[in-house]
Amino acid sequence: MSSSTTSAKTSATTSAAAPKLSMTQVLICGAMVVTLSMGIRHGFGLWLQPITMDRGWTRETFALAIALQNLAWGIAGPFAGGLADRFGAFRVLIVGGLLYAAGLVSMGLATSGLAFMGSAGLLLGMAQSGTTYAIVYGVIGRNVAADKRSWAMGVTAAAGSFGQFLMVPVENWLIGSFGWQEALFALGCLSLAILPLALGLKEPAQTAAKGTHQSVGAALREAFAYPSFQLLMAGYFVCGFQVVFIGVHMPSYLKDQGLTPNVATTALALIGLFNVFGTYAAGTLGARLQKRYILSAIYFLRAIVITVFLLLPLTPMSVYVFAAAMGLLWLSTIPPTNAVIAQIFGVQYLSMLGGFVFLSHQIGSFLGVWLGGRLYDMTGSYNIVWWIAVALGIFAGIVNLPVREQAIVRAAPAAA
Amino acid sequence: MKLRPTLAWTAVGAVLGVVFAAYLRPELALTLATQLWNCF
Repeated sequence: MSSSTTSAKTSATTSAAAPKLSMTQVLICGAMVVTLSMGIRHGFGLWLQPITMDRGWTRETFALAIALQNLAWGIAGPFAGGLADRFGAFRVLIVGGLLYAAGLVSMGLATSGLAFMGSAGLLLGMAQSGTTYAIVYGVIGRNVAADKRSWAMGVTAAAGSFGQFLMVPVENWLIGSFGWQEALFALGCLSLAILPLALGLKEPAQTAAKGTHQSVGAALREAFAYPSFQLLMAGYFVCGFQVVFIGVHMPSYLKDQGLTPNVATTALALIGLFNVFGTYAAGTLGARLQKRYILSAIYFLRAIVITVFLLLPLTPMSVYVFAAAMGLLWLSTIPPTNAVIAQIFGVQYLSMLGGFVFLSHQIGSFLGVWLGGRLYDMTGSYNIVWWIAVALGIFAGIVNLPVREQAIVRAAPAAA
Repeated sequence: MKLRPTLAWTAVGAVLGVVFAAYLRPELALTLATQLWNCF
């Protein structure tokens, strides 16, 4: 292949610079960053009662701040990803770690609802956009060989899942032992650990391979005009809808059905436990199978698992089996979705494109929470939303099948 | 030569088991069930 003529073509995968960091270093630092960033945020619900009681706020104030956080996380994602692709992931991770610490401390100090929205909502949302999967996956994409990329993304996603699983009891212990405000300050200090870890992800100055450089605008136009990118975004939208609808409304559903809070907690623990294995397995399988089949299978299986759960008599055991099965499928979409984006478009703008797909996920999340509540208020039952989740699962299973995984072929620019 | 992966997976299993057990403590169960799910 030559880059010396305008008619020459170049594959997206060739735009990756030669690996510069060791895979072990990238995996250890990346996994620890994601463990912290995903773990710390996961237990925020534990602060609902102590903060609202101490500050005299309504639950709505707290819930609105968390909703704002999720929205800010999604909207800031493409920008954080673009900055990471342009200026280096480690810089974005350092800013993200500082924002995380500032957000947690100011969350503890906020005495008005507005200040709480700014800290727990905006600051922490932006912090998450700069410290989670899309940013770390950019480093993995540029430094891990293509045949091990999906596996490496699976390892990192499993670390994030483990962080979620681990930090809930840890945060509960911190609040119980030191008080809710001190617990936030302690987590603020802990989040600063992202800074030294970011240095472990500092890549040597990257220069795109000659003849393969692409502008941000061209990358965006290319991705959004490419049907497979749209299909991946549609699938990720469904992922967000299903996971967050179940996450938020499941306890109310179980309570309505007469089950005890213990059943809901055990279900939560089972989801967390099996989520670790599911994300790792999805990444590992992605190194051997076509990722579109893995994604399609995950969404079809979700639809089947929810259908069986709804049709069988509801018992604690059926809830546990459902939680374990959904746990396996919970965040398992993350490694294959990001790995296939890297495979199609290359790694130059992997964090930015991953950020856009994640924005679609967050819009689905928002709709899952909102529609769950809205339709419950209208009908007095979650049945309609459960069946919408099933229908969306089938839809996502179908739309992932025609995804083209081959690297996109671009015309190489003329030689100087 | 399969000792290292076996040990690693055993350690992973043990850590996950300990964390899982933490969720099942009765005093934690009610708190989690009523509060945590609010902010997934």
